[in-house]
Amino acid sequence: MYSAGIQGNKPRTPYHEFYADDFTPRDHYRLLWDHIKATGNSALEAKAHESQLALRAEGVTFTVYGESEEGIERIWPFDLIPRIITAAEWVKIESGLKQRVRALNFFLGDLYGEQRIIKDGVIPPELIYQGRDFRREIVGIVPPGGIYTHVSGIDIIRDEKGEFLILEDNLRTPSGVSYMIENRVIERRILPEFFNKYRVRRVEHYPSLLLAALRALSPRGKKIAEIVLLTPGIYNSAYFEHTFLAKEMGIELAEGRDMVVVNDIVYLKTTTGLQRVDVIYRRIDDDFLDPLVFRSDSSLGIAGVINAWRAGNVAIVNAPGSGIADDKAVYPYVPDIIRYYLGQEPILNNVPTYQMTNVKDREYVFDNMERMVIKAVSESGGYGMLMGPSSTPASRKEFMGLVQENPRNYIAQPVVYLSRHTCYMDGELEARHLDLRPYVIYGEDIEVVPGGLTRVALRKGSLVVNSSQGGGSKDTWVLAE
Amino acid sequence: MLSRIADSMYWMARYLERAGETARLMEINLLYLVEAEEDMGEEDKWRPILQINSSEPLYVEQFGGGSISTSRVLQFISAGRTNPSSIRTSLRLFRENARVARDRISKEMWEAVNEIWMSFDERLKGTLSAERAGALFVELRNQVARFNGLTASTMMRGEAYAFYQLGGCFERADMTARTLDVKYHIILPDLSMVGSALDYYQWAALLKSLSGFEAFRRNYHSGFMPADVAEFVVLNRAFPRSIVFSVEHIGNALAIIGLERKDATDAAFTQLSEMVHVTSSQIFDTGLHEYLVSLLLRLAQFHGALVEEFFQ
Repeated sequence: MYSAGIQGNKPRTPYHEFYADDFTPRDHYRLLWDHIKATGNSALEAKAHESQLALRAEGVTFTVYGESEEGIERIWPFDLIPRIITAAEWVKIESGLKQRVRALNFFLGDLYGEQRIIKDGVIPPELIYQGRDFRREIVGIVPPGGIYTHVSGIDIIRDEKGEFLILEDNLRTPSGVSYMIENRVIERRILPEFFNKYRVRRVEHYPSLLLAALRALSPRGKKIAEIVLLTPGIYNSAYFEHTFLAKEMGIELAEGRDMVVVNDIVYLKTTTGLQRVDVIYRRIDDDFLDPLVFRSDSSLGIAGVINAWRAGNVAIVNAPGSGIADDKAVYPYVPDIIRYYLGQEPILNNVPTYQMTNVKDREYVFDNMERMVIKAVSESGGYGMLMGPSSTPASRKEFMGLVQENPRNYIAQPVVYLSRHTCYMDGELEARHLDLRPYVIYGEDIEVVPGGLTRVALRKGSLVVNSSQGGGSKDTWVLAE
Repeated sequence: MLSRIADSMYWMARYLERAGETARLMEINLLYLVEAEEDMGEEDKWRPILQINSSEPLYVEQFGGGSISTSRVLQFISAGRTNPSSIRTSLRLFRENARVARDRISKEMWEAVNEIWMSFDERLKGTLSAERAGALFVELRNQVARFNGLTASTMMRGEAYAFYQLGGCFERADMTARTLDVKYHIILPDLSMVGSALDYYQWAALLKSLSGFEAFRRNYHSGFMPADVAEFVVLNRAFPRSIVFSVEHIGNALAIIGLERKDATDAAFTQLSEMVHVTSSQIFDTGLHEYLVSLLLRLAQFHGALVEEFFQ
């Protein structure tokens, strides 16, 4: 059993990405720092304004749920000071992510196949069988090439010592990659002079990497691959991204109701009749994918698509059932999963994690709730979690009750003070916490696009970076040398 | 192309056209009111607009029958909460359909969609004085014209474009028919006034709300003969807001889309097309009102056929 161990109370200062100490920037930020000092705040203000106008005009938005029935569409919040990652740092991130994604795909193939890892006692069976995202319906089906997660977006944070840690594996329908590209487009247009000073690696070829991976999966061969992006529709928070990717790849943007399955073959309903579909890049959860197999009340999915998939007539990306591998209760076992399948030590470590099914861990967490983050295992996007430092006695009591009721459903982590970075906030340069989500594509080989989405907690002192909870973003530069 | 996307392209064009034509109608009515006859009550000035907008019953429901006032109608037509044909609702649905078809329209078009929505949303909702409203409607019409220009110069001439054309022409034919029907009948009872100043202003207002005043003057030199106005608005093949012009362009769009195995649409279009290839005396033999009513019915049947054979 992996356990975080009991930690003492030590003073904690977040790592600063930009400054080595109060007055000196880190070496790789020196040129940027000199430039900002030379141009001054009024130039930055004009640039910030310009970036806002560009984002508005282009309709780069996301939708926040819950405030009205249709959700509220917001302009994507963008901070113009770039986040810089050195070539040496990137080597470690890249190799760590490849290792992790490779191991997690072996793990999924095993879970839906022989289940050796359970038989060998590395993972307790109940952890899998009680997981909401373990799909019994698809046991025994092997997707093309044995690959489940063609697209992964893995969240990385930096602890107080500056070590990169994995916070979350997003293996279902990770979003944000369009913003990674839009941030770059805006940054280059607004601040071309920044780019002259550095050799920044490019990220805009992401859609072509993805398209190649999708084409390779076509049951009729990649020459005649008809590929669609399956979206829940215009009210989905990531609809902007769905249109962005569909346009960039030149594929059809379709909703479930645009498709029909006849004799285990999926077709698009077009103005000239039915047209066969080979690959579905779906941006809806398993639950909603096929009302005949999963949730029968889903109107977003395609009735019969799982049977078509089972028959090998259509590829689904990411493969159904992938969600069990990013279940937060499975997360603490990922280092063991890497050791088990690859015989290697993990290159990137996890954040220490307490299992609420373990009585000792649970009691320790309850005694130290103000210093903990408690997360529901199947939620994402910052929903369903308790942030200890900003919690109230009432919310702590509520979560204590929730955890006791269903311990399998929760994990806890000591609050990690995410690293900070200089941001341009209303005329001032101020420090804000941030994380990093690089994107990994598993096609013929595993590729990590050199960059990612840096998400920033815009509220002062906040550790929550999700855009649904008031987060913003920065362009992320991986240096070539 | 996807049936749902075809549907969105069609409606995107219809809503934009509706917003623009309604703004034009309002703008001309406001201008006309400045100098309108004193004995004409506010009700008479605005009821026709509510009728053309098909929203009179909803207006009555919200405000009660005898209370048609300039400020209320301005608010109601611009952004009335209960009015599904308000300008603001048309623009909102224009944008919503553009979002659905986002991957089919050009980047320039999409940016213009956002610009239009962001610049008019709040202003239409606010309290509008007659002067401010007039300027706003002129600006909106200009934006619509600009958008149509952008579309013509940046969008691929494929099926999606054809459905966009189809929607725009359909809405224009529909609006023109309804405007003519309502306005013509208000003006017509005053046959004794033919040639009078009042007559001039009323016919001029009708033609201006269809952007056809100058063209009409150039074509007809004997003043505003009712039959001439009707003939011009319905049957002049060179006038871009005439009904025949719109119907012929619907035909062009259908030729690109293709009608193989689309029998209902084919039949409905043939019937529609027959109606606009007549002479003006044939129209007046039936009666203009009766003619326009059956034309609107043919349009509705054609729409029904499109829904059945293309959009589902």
